[in-house]
Amino acid sequence: MRDLIRLAYNAVAGHKLRSGLSMLGIAIGIASVILLTSIGEGTRRYILEQFAQFGTNILSVVPGKAETVGIPGVLGGTTRKLTIDDALSLQRISGVNEVVANAYGSARVEANGRGRSVFVYGVTPNVPTAWNFRVRQGAFWPAGDPRRGAQVAVLGPSLKRELFGEENALGRFVRIGGSRFRVIGIMEAKGQFIGFDIDDAVYVPVASAMRLFNLTELNEVHVVYAHAGLADRVEREVHRVLKARHNDTEDFTVTTQKAMLDVFGNVMNMITLAVGAIAGISLLVGSIGILTMMWIAVGERTQEIGLIRAIGATRQQVQLLFLTEAAALATLGGAFGILGGVGIATLLRLAIPGLPIHTPLLFVALAVAMSTVTGLLSGVLPARRAAALDPIEALRTE
Amino acid sequence: MTLADLFRFAIGSLGGHRLRTALSLLGMAIGVAAVVALTALGEGARRYVIDQFASIGTNLLIVVPGKTETTGIPGMVPGTANDITLQDAEAVARQIPEVDKVAPLVVGTEDVSYGARRRQVPVVGSTQEFEEVRKLSVVRGEFLPAADMERGRSVAVLGQKVAQEIFLGEEPVGKIVRIGGWRMRVIGVLAPRGVQLGMNVDDMVLVPVGTAMKMFDRRSLFRIFVQVRATADLEQAKGKVIRLFKERHDGEEDITVLTQDAVVSTFSQILGALTLAVGAIAAISLTVAGIGIMNVMLVAVSERTREIGLLRAVGVGRRQVLAVFLTEAALLSAAGGLLGLAVGWTAIEILVQVFPALPASPPPWAVGAALALSFGVGLLFGWLPARRAARLDPVLALASR
Repeated sequence: MRDLIRLAYNAVAGHKLRSGLSMLGIAIGIASVILLTSIGEGTRRYILEQFAQFGTNILSVVPGKAETVGIPGVLGGTTRKLTIDDALSLQRISGVNEVVANAYGSARVEANGRGRSVFVYGVTPNVPTAWNFRVRQGAFWPAGDPRRGAQVAVLGPSLKRELFGEENALGRFVRIGGSRFRVIGIMEAKGQFIGFDIDDAVYVPVASAMRLFNLTELNEVHVVYAHAGLADRVEREVHRVLKARHNDTEDFTVTTQKAMLDVFGNVMNMITLAVGAIAGISLLVGSIGILTMMWIAVGERTQEIGLIRAIGATRQQVQLLFLTEAAALATLGGAFGILGGVGIATLLRLAIPGLPIHTPLLFVALAVAMSTVTGLLSGVLPARRAAALDPIEALRTE
Repeated sequence: MTLADLFRFAIGSLGGHRLRTALSLLGMAIGVAAVVALTALGEGARRYVIDQFASIGTNLLIVVPGKTETTGIPGMVPGTANDITLQDAEAVARQIPEVDKVAPLVVGTEDVSYGARRRQVPVVGSTQEFEEVRKLSVVRGEFLPAADMERGRSVAVLGQKVAQEIFLGEEPVGKIVRIGGWRMRVIGVLAPRGVQLGMNVDDMVLVPVGTAMKMFDRRSLFRIFVQVRATADLEQAKGKVIRLFKERHDGEEDITVLTQDAVVSTFSQILGALTLAVGAIAAISLTVAGIGIMNVMLVAVSERTREIGLLRAVGVGRRQVLAVFLTEAALLSAAGGLLGLAVGWTAIEILVQVFPALPASPPPWAVGAALALSFGVGLLFGWLPARRAARLDPVLALASR
């Protein structure tokens, strides 16, 4: 075994440039696979984290059935409305901690002679607990009958800054879509959510928003339950309760956060796999390079092979010799490729700090395995050729 | 040494090592085939999307409620402070001379039933103009009646699939269906159209816009389709629509007007960029193939050291030796490129035969780039071995064994 490695090493080291180039081919292939899959995996994690900040034990009910129109909720509902009463009825399901009734739209918010078109969320005042939000100043309106909405508003920090600058905004009035609302709270900054600035928004009581936007039903109901184990039971109960209230028709769609994230994760995995496979084409080309070089090497070393055979080495040993050489070449190339790929990924992250890149150890291990297997496969043909040589003929060649 | 000699020499040496040559060719061919096939797929997807948009007419303006400064996608958020109303739609039709037809749109979901069979489908409220604006046609009966927009008659036009599913071959025209709690007389069946922009025209029901607004208890429109007389007037008409709405809505610009062009070009750009990215990733394999060619050429130079010495001894210059090896490398990679092009193109042709809906064909720039790149890569990576050959000392080269 030691002999085998030494012989392979000598053969690789004896043709430095040649071996180096063969390795470079594999290295480029592995590096691009590692880099691209890392970007894909990073993006997937980034988006999952974005969703997780709202809490994961949440399900949403929207009016309309998803089967008939691709995206539920976009087209609006049916003749039987998803009402605040529906939302309240869900509160009684055991295991449910919070229910948030949503009615949203966009409107122009004006104050201080400045105006801005933003998202207006009509919600129930349990939003801070349900969505993991914090209030920086003031408070949400007191919980009461959500069917009655006061003209009060809680501003997102970006909106507050845009309208009032550093001034105190609490107790001041803003006009939202033409009606006067009193500011009673300012949210803590939460940042971006997949491209949306969620701080650039205003929260008002759900009934006020429905009045403002002329809505006759809710856009969405969020149900927050105590822990992940309850997911299935709560989903079933939500179905049962709403169906009973809607004349036994299922004219709403229930989506759990988990189901949505699963679908999303699958799509991202597919994309990562596809991109990785495309990058893998260069790996294939690299392995053809190794095959070519090994083939040439067998031709050049015919005499040497004859000699080894003459002093008693078997066909199997000769075959193994060349296979080891090919595998060593490819594995070394793969190692360099991983270094290169991770190096470029690190540089990219330094250059663009927000770029989501993540290289799981599993990918690295797979890449090493892939390069070794690539090497073995490309070594098969030359190794067989070497093993098939007749020792006497081989010794006689020049 | 003439050009013809050069070629003969190069081909001769390539032919002398068939397997070696074939493998080098194969590497390059795989790379080029991948670039050609993948960009063709991307281009096919781009064309498919553009065709989809073109099928609903190019002289179209779409008025969506809400001005979008902060949110990216207009129209995705239901409800704005200022609604767009039927009166707004009528005003657009009356007051803007460039406008040919106006079709208001209200959308909801409801059960449609006949006898014991029911089906939940999107219900679209619009006017007679919708037929021309969305390029629809009826196979039986007639389309929505021309009438005062606000008067909602209880009639419905069924999509092909809806008619089939709930009537099961019975003649639908003249029959009464239930939509939600409403009784409607079927006056027509749409010709099959399939999925358009993510909405299946065959699986929906059309009713007069006034009826739909009553059914779904809406006072506002989902959007307004505006067909302009001539494509040249599109921008002008867009400006006038925005001004008209501003006037009608107390000086506030609270709508977004989308033109078909803007939407199409956004999609086209995104898919184009995607195609380019995928092509570039596939092109990495061309570099790897180039490295393979360099390696083989280096071997060839060292094997033929004596031959090179001989050439130099009989008076061939360094430049000519360089040319010989460069020609060999270029021939090798160009042939690989052509082979790859043929393979990639064939693969795409087969794909198109299997999926005729996808208009996939390699974009000319990609074919050109792939071929140029393969040729260039050959020259680039052939340079090092060729220079090594040219720099050999003739005397030492002849003496080597």
